[in-house]
Amino acid sequence: MAQIFSTRADARLRLVLIVGAALILLIGAAAFAYVRSGNAWAIGRPAEQPVPFSHAVHAGGLGLDCRFCHAGVERTAEAGMPSAETCLGCHERVWNVTAQFAPLRAAIAQGTAVEWSSVSRLPDHARFDHAAHTQAGVGCETCHGKVEEMPRTVKAESLSMSFCLDCHRDPLANQQPAGAVFARDAPPAAELQAMRPHGLQAQRYEHYGIEVSPLTRCSTCHQ
Amino acid sequence: MSARLPPRHGPDPAPEPPQPAALRIGLHNPAERRDALKLMGASLALAALAGCDDPDEFGHPLHAPARASDAEASAADYATVLELDGLSRGVIVRTRNGHPIKVEGNPQHPASLGATDIFAEAAVLSLHDPNRSRRIRRDGRPVPAAMLDEALAMTRAELQARGGRGLRILTGPVSSPTLARMLGAVLAAFPEARWHQHDPLADDAALEGALRAFGKPVVLVPDLGLARTVLCLGADPLGHMPGHLRHARDWAAARAGGRAPRLIAAEAAPSLTGARADRRIPLGPAEAESFARAVATMLGVEGLAAGGSHPAAADVAASLREAGTEGLVMAGTGQDAATHALAHAINARLGSMARRLLPHPLARPEPMGASLAALAAEMAAGEVTHLLILGANPAYDAPAALGFGAALRRVPFSLHLGYRQDETARLCPWHVPLPHPLESWGDSRAFDGTPAIRQPATALPSEARGEVEVLSALLGRPVAAREAVEETWRVEWGEDDFSERWPAALEAGVAGEAPDALDLPLSAGWDRPTAPLQGGLAAIFSPDPGVRGGAEAHEAWLQEMPRPLTKIVWGNAALMAPATAAGLGLSSGDEVELSLGGRSILAPVWPMPGHAPGCVTLPLGGGRRAGGPVGEGRGFDAYALRPADGTWVAQGLSLRATGRKLEVVTTDSHHRLDPGDAIRTVAPGGSLPQPERDASLYRDWPYPGHAWGMAIDIDACIGCNACALACQAENNVPVVGPLAVSQGREMHWLRVDRYHHGPEDNPEASFQPVPCMHCEQAPCEPVCPVNATLHDHEGLNVMVYPRCIGTRTCSNNCPYKVRRFNWSDHRRFLDTPARNPDVSLRPRGVMEKCTYCIHRITTARSTASTEGRALRDGEVETACQRACPTRAITFGDLNDPESAISRARRDGRHYAMLGHLGTRPRTTYLARIATDAEDAP
Repeated sequence: MAQIFSTRADARLRLVLIVGAALILLIGAAAFAYVRSGNAWAIGRPAEQPVPFSHAVHAGGLGLDCRFCHAGVERTAEAGMPSAETCLGCHERVWNVTAQFAPLRAAIAQGTAVEWSSVSRLPDHARFDHAAHTQAGVGCETCHGKVEEMPRTVKAESLSMSFCLDCHRDPLANQQPAGAVFARDAPPAAELQAMRPHGLQAQRYEHYGIEVSPLTRCSTCHQ
Repeated sequence: MSARLPPRHGPDPAPEPPQPAALRIGLHNPAERRDALKLMGASLALAALAGCDDPDEFGHPLHAPARASDAEASAADYATVLELDGLSRGVIVRTRNGHPIKVEGNPQHPASLGATDIFAEAAVLSLHDPNRSRRIRRDGRPVPAAMLDEALAMTRAELQARGGRGLRILTGPVSSPTLARMLGAVLAAFPEARWHQHDPLADDAALEGALRAFGKPVVLVPDLGLARTVLCLGADPLGHMPGHLRHARDWAAARAGGRAPRLIAAEAAPSLTGARADRRIPLGPAEAESFARAVATMLGVEGLAAGGSHPAAADVAASLREAGTEGLVMAGTGQDAATHALAHAINARLGSMARRLLPHPLARPEPMGASLAALAAEMAAGEVTHLLILGANPAYDAPAALGFGAALRRVPFSLHLGYRQDETARLCPWHVPLPHPLESWGDSRAFDGTPAIRQPATALPSEARGEVEVLSALLGRPVAAREAVEETWRVEWGEDDFSERWPAALEAGVAGEAPDALDLPLSAGWDRPTAPLQGGLAAIFSPDPGVRGGAEAHEAWLQEMPRPLTKIVWGNAALMAPATAAGLGLSSGDEVELSLGGRSILAPVWPMPGHAPGCVTLPLGGGRRAGGPVGEGRGFDAYALRPADGTWVAQGLSLRATGRKLEVVTTDSHHRLDPGDAIRTVAPGGSLPQPERDASLYRDWPYPGHAWGMAIDIDACIGCNACALACQAENNVPVVGPLAVSQGREMHWLRVDRYHHGPEDNPEASFQPVPCMHCEQAPCEPVCPVNATLHDHEGLNVMVYPRCIGTRTCSNNCPYKVRRFNWSDHRRFLDTPARNPDVSLRPRGVMEKCTYCIHRITTARSTASTEGRALRDGEVETACQRACPTRAITFGDLNDPESAISRARRDGRHYAMLGHLGTRPRTTYLARIATDAEDAP
């Protein structure tokens, strides 16, 4: 009766096992690297927009203030998008390229909304309040990056939970002085403003000997 | 035709609503078993995928408004009105991205005072109903709108030639001044045309009683804040009566102010008023008039044509005599005209100050049963050539004895204007979609005649037309609803005042004052006794507390909301006294054949503690045959037995047990707690012993900022379910359907428990809303293996949905049974524009529960922080608290000793449910105050 296993069967088995284990590790490592990479969080990927809008031209070149278009950023949870009227207010006079502004004109004619595509969307169970953050001295750039240099708007940070927590654990590192929240290229703040007296930061407490900041409690951001 | 519930062990286990799409796999067939295995494999793979975030978050639309002014409008609150039986109550509609997401009460409107009822809350759901009618149809097929205009123009030409002969218009009850004006214009243009009204829930006897007593169609509007003794003869001021939110508020405010009116309810079927009455007298329809006569005789009412007797009458009369001008008698639906007239006469004798006689709020008060019967007779006789049915559904809710459907087929041109393709739409060649009240302009009057403008909170679907638009097209002068409403009020106020008053009326949600009360003397010969009822059982028709007359049957929220006293969901049952049922050898769920006037239906029996003997209550609104899958076939259709004149009581009901069982789905046994632990009662003016704070093995949590707490006054709770439905609407709580409810899988975060105390033939009832207790030492927290439920810095017990792995240990360990588990994925049904975007949707397999409306807390905190100030007491209002008509719910910060919640906690009636467990609940209760019929323990 012939040998069922050749003399090299053992070596082959070992090879297969080693290669298999290595593959599994590699796949795991690749997956881990991927979910932590900017690609998985869509960093740097532009979204299809109804009108080819360039922040580099408007905010960078012309120097428009963020609040000119995102008017609610200091008052409401959502920063707000400019109305079609706001866009056409200038573009009736300058750079009046009819074809590009068709969606805006249609919106005004029909009274419907212009649907821009969000690039910095948080998941459903997380709540973000623009007003609370700008009032607390968090600058736009902290989360949105150098928007004024973007010809097509892209996501600059992962906006993952760990990104949020990095700041919530040490908020002072990212706070700007009152006047610099909307400034471009604000120099690293030399004098940091004290936390507002009613802010959550004022309510640090201790439980089982651990100091806890309400800023890192689940219910502060999640709903 | 009657509809019936399927048998319990039949091939189709239970009727299923459109949601949820419960995965039903039969495991008896081997082929299906293989499918089940495949599905299990697939669901494992899907579960792994579901752990990742949804990819579609990227590029999610960000709405930018067309105009800067739209930006505010797209997330604005609108003051408007919603109607119930033609009478309005003011609401504030919260919108987001141009979609209404929540209805709340309008504090400035006299019929709301800031509260809502379940029907107002459900308006958001019906607005977004995928089964609503959207297209103009001819013989069931969609046609262009131009064809309708052409048909109306031809109709107009044809009718003009003969002065409108053969034209009939049928509407629901009309209180709208604009619609009344348009109808007047049509009747003027077509002198031979007639206008009829139909409302299956109209109380024709009340109108007839007022006519007998005063010769004028007046309505009695009680003031429960002024009254000292109130006798309700079948009247339900806290539940069904127009203005119920106002009456409940007045009653609760008087109780809280130490001026509690003594409420005596004499009624057949227990109502919400009867449940909270200080004394309840079960009174069958055969005895009602005799009882009222006996009271009237003892009070010395003049002009009585006959006397009466009842053992309880002397005591009631003495109580009313003692109250004098602060005494009040009200008769309600189910009473005959003679009893209504007697109530007016007793009030006149007492010189009651606790009631106002006001001009009828409807534009043309008339007995609606007679109005519809006259129309049906003309239709059957072939005298009607053109019939416009505007917003009514007589093919379903007219008494079957009237034969309306058959008569309708004889009308050559009939047009149905309705929100759904309902039973009537199926019989009319033309169907035109009616806009939802939240989409269209209009006006309306409240129970006391206060006018208000109805303004749209969202855009109108392109093909929908209002009543005004159809009528004006018929006149050949089409106007938009808004123009017509403006025109009415421009004439009413004068051109000069209009520009000022119109925006003010839209802003306030009220367009004027209630008319002045009338001072009318009793007419001579007011008393015309009714012949005593004889023979067999009495059938009492009543509006269902959940779906009323059936028009609301398509609201899944309402179908699944347990009816306050029976706790029945998704259907109805024939209610009778336990003694009557026992006498007939019946128990709950037994199928009986009910026959009356030659027609019969099949219905399940439900013994109802406190029901008067010798009569059977048949809730209306079941057994819908068209209009969408939610309402069709739920329960039995009691209209099949209703006499042709639409009366509320009919004698001669016969009952035969079929020997089968029908499944009645009820939540009565779900989440049951021991009544002694849950409900506490104190004597009037008494207080409960306040326990010392229990020691705990766990260390106390510090609450450096706020410490949220809720107190619920069960003495003020009337069990109306408004809180539970407000919670459902606010928190995107899914509907699970009758099958899942029967398995105990309902999802309501806030349930209202009902307890009966005392003898079965006439028990007292009390209600207890139970949300999450947010225990400081929560039993659910330590048992979670993944730390998905935890305690936050303000004392809330919070759920982390993405962490939850669904072991359900927390629910098992919760002594209050307030946690709800997602057995199915309801998200695709909930992710509509109607959802509240501030509350995330929960996937399958996770636990959820009351959050104390944490999103409202966070929003208020952000607002305060943005404005650089501390939160104010009362700034955070939970959805349940906002809806409550009696303001039984208080919410606030326990760290602030002057807050309303801290004051409530210092009340002598304060107690914690199951407080001896040491859970230190944040939700606590104020004990119920004993009525005069019982002694406090």
